[in-house]
Amino acid sequence: MLKDITLGQYFPGDSILHRTDARIKILMLIVYLVFVLCAKTAFAFGFVVIATGLLVIISEIPLKTVLKSLKPLLFVLLFTAVINLFFANGEDILWQWKFIKIYREGIENAVKMVIRLTSLVTGTSVLLTYTTSPLDLTDGIERLLVPLKKIGVPVHDFAMMMSIALRFIPTLIEETDKIISAQKARGADFESGNIFARAKALIPILVPLFVSAYRRAFELAEAMECRCYRSGVGKTRMKVIKTRPADYIFLGMSIIACAGIFFLNQVVIPL
Amino acid sequence: MSLKLENVSVVYGEGTPFRKIALDNINIEFPKGKITGIIGHTGSGKSTLAQLLNGLNKPTSGNIYLDGTDIWEKPKEISKIRFKVGLAFQYPEYQLFEETVGKDIAFGPKNMGLNDNEIALRVAEAAKLCGIPEDSLNRSPFELSGGQKRRVAIAGVMAMRPEYLVLDEPAAGLDPVGKTDILNGIINYKNETDGTVILISHSMEDVAKYSDMILVLKEGKVFAHGSVEEIFSDIDSLANSSLDLPQITRLFHELKKRGLSERDDVYTVKFGEKLLREKGIFNA
Amino acid sequence: MGFIQADKLTYTYEGNLVPAVKEVSLSFKKGSYTAIIGHNGSGKSTLAKLLCGIFTPTGGKVLIDGMDTADEDNMASIREKCGMVFQNPDNQIVSSVVEEDVAFAPENLGVEPAQIRKAVDEALAAVGMTEYAHHSTYKLSGGQKQRIAIAGILAMNPECIVFDEATAMLDPAGRREISDTMRKLNDRGITVITVTHHMNEAAMADRIVVMNKGEVAMDGTPREIFARVDELRKLSLAVPQVTELLYDLGLPAALHAKEAADVIEEEIKKKCL
Repeated sequence: MLKDITLGQYFPGDSILHRTDARIKILMLIVYLVFVLCAKTAFAFGFVVIATGLLVIISEIPLKTVLKSLKPLLFVLLFTAVINLFFANGEDILWQWKFIKIYREGIENAVKMVIRLTSLVTGTSVLLTYTTSPLDLTDGIERLLVPLKKIGVPVHDFAMMMSIALRFIPTLIEETDKIISAQKARGADFESGNIFARAKALIPILVPLFVSAYRRAFELAEAMECRCYRSGVGKTRMKVIKTRPADYIFLGMSIIACAGIFFLNQVVIPL
Repeated sequence: MSLKLENVSVVYGEGTPFRKIALDNINIEFPKGKITGIIGHTGSGKSTLAQLLNGLNKPTSGNIYLDGTDIWEKPKEISKIRFKVGLAFQYPEYQLFEETVGKDIAFGPKNMGLNDNEIALRVAEAAKLCGIPEDSLNRSPFELSGGQKRRVAIAGVMAMRPEYLVLDEPAAGLDPVGKTDILNGIINYKNETDGTVILISHSMEDVAKYSDMILVLKEGKVFAHGSVEEIFSDIDSLANSSLDLPQITRLFHELKKRGLSERDDVYTVKFGEKLLREKGIFNA
Repeated sequence: MGFIQADKLTYTYEGNLVPAVKEVSLSFKKGSYTAIIGHNGSGKSTLAKLLCGIFTPTGGKVLIDGMDTADEDNMASIREKCGMVFQNPDNQIVSSVVEEDVAFAPENLGVEPAQIRKAVDEALAAVGMTEYAHHSTYKLSGGQKQRIAIAGILAMNPECIVFDEATAMLDPAGRREISDTMRKLNDRGITVITVTHHMNEAAMADRIVVMNKGEVAMDGTPREIFARVDELRKLSLAVPQVTELLYDLGLPAALHAKEAADVIEEEIKKKCL
């Protein structure tokens, strides 16, 4: 069910990660992305798994929730794994049946890709969306991008749009579910036919969804105007963000971990 | 001939801390040719029940029989069940998508694989039942008022000519005129097609006014089920269900308490008026 | 002079020939509680949006606390003084977290952080949602979401709140939550104007304005309005069931079941003596 998608959702809490300055978390996420994408060797990947696991633990987000967020990705993960498994070329043939050959490199690549994708999604969710309220998040982005304001980039508007998009993800997902059910009740078939028939079958979902999103946007704009929204001019915040020493320690640790990857990449153990 | 639920339960989130029993061992039969009103609070299981009846949702346990056959006997043919048991969702106007009203009403019949003549016939018939003027059929559904859109959406379900028509809060959010228009359309449908109607509502006043039978759901269980007269003959228990009784019922409940009326099973203004006039006091 | 003063107010939507609101003159006193009723297309929602300055009149004028809503320079002060709660609970919540949403208006106004905190806590307490401050807005019930929307307006300390069919999408429990909240706000001195088609809700107000075809058809206390059952029926408006019964029996109007019982008891006593 679409309802299972927890991407972009915020889980209120009071963990260390929840309390970390959003700006620091965004920087940590960038470092983390480099960290995951640069891992090459088995040791490095082991380290990625451990580091990601640690992040999940200190975020205090239930493991079940994290796993649930991976469910929509299952297809992508399987697809990547299968592609890597069957289409990678290498030297060590482990198993062969007619023209299908599985190489040791194929298995390795498949495992690495799955770890990489899973870590990317888990890390982004745990570091940012799950533990950072959308307002903090957009605030963080806005402050990080402040230098761009000088060259005329509407940084605040951009941040506000992002925050609203995040706020409406669950609402629109629920709406999509409802529209799908309603069209199914009128006998709509989304499961059979060729790719063109299936694409066409999406029209009864997409049109109402678009109409509704447009109406929501219009009404929201009116409501925001009523609450004195003036595109960030003279805006203050209820929660003052202060970067504490712990935040810098966190950032430092991330950078060290990232550097560690390059070191571990050098360590090759023969399998 | 009926739509029947036997020992039906629906449990969400089985095996997780969020486990919730939406429907708990429901045994109920919706007799053919009658209007059954289903009433209950938000979270009482009304909407879950609606989606069970046409196979959009599958019961966790128990069986649903449509005219004697289990609807889940052949899961691949569940879409056929959806044509026999039509379901109009809450705020159905949000499902409209076609360029014209006529095309939108035709969506269901088209999915049934009917030929063009038959489809045109059904569209005209459903539009008439819902009081949609013929010249509106070529207009865009997005130009219509809220009440008109609602009627188009409901006509879209009626056009499948379902033997059972299930409506989840068809009048929610409409003004009195819009409400009457919709509910009259439903009555027309029942009278013209001899169909069975299941009307889900928060409003005891509407349910009492339009239904033959009432089913009261409370926390996923059947709290009461019977003809409107039977349900209203036990006002005390109904009041205990913490549902909003019709204002006229509350008045007669109060009058009975004060010893001014013998009966309190009053749910229409007309009947209340008749009772009071019989006292011979108010004829002047 | 009233707190909100409408003078020959006219509004025509772009591309329409017939005005949605036509030469309406009304005055709303400070601290009053008014319900505006009328069937769909009667112009009641348009009127509400004109009264709190969201729409600028195409004819006539609206003064809110003496400020003309047509004057751009007044806009900021008007928004602060007069808030609006809309129909769809989902489409007026900006943030995913309750207290952050409530803080939206004072943040926009540039209020000091400590003061925002205070305003948010007070607003949440006023609508009875304090314990939900850290909850996610998405999972609340319809009635709770509307109460958050009200708190979001209250946080800017307005003098008037206009409700535009704010209960239309709620279940009976949610509707009760919101009408109770309206009553409480009014008791605190806030001017309340509510557009509704639920007669039982309108009966709770101190004054009812009935709109028809963009004009004021009736204006009076609920008792006065509901005594004119025939006229209301002509405007295809429903009246509360007991009001209808008493009217058909030729008895004086009553708005609630208890009150109607009193009227009937009185009548029986009178006739039997």
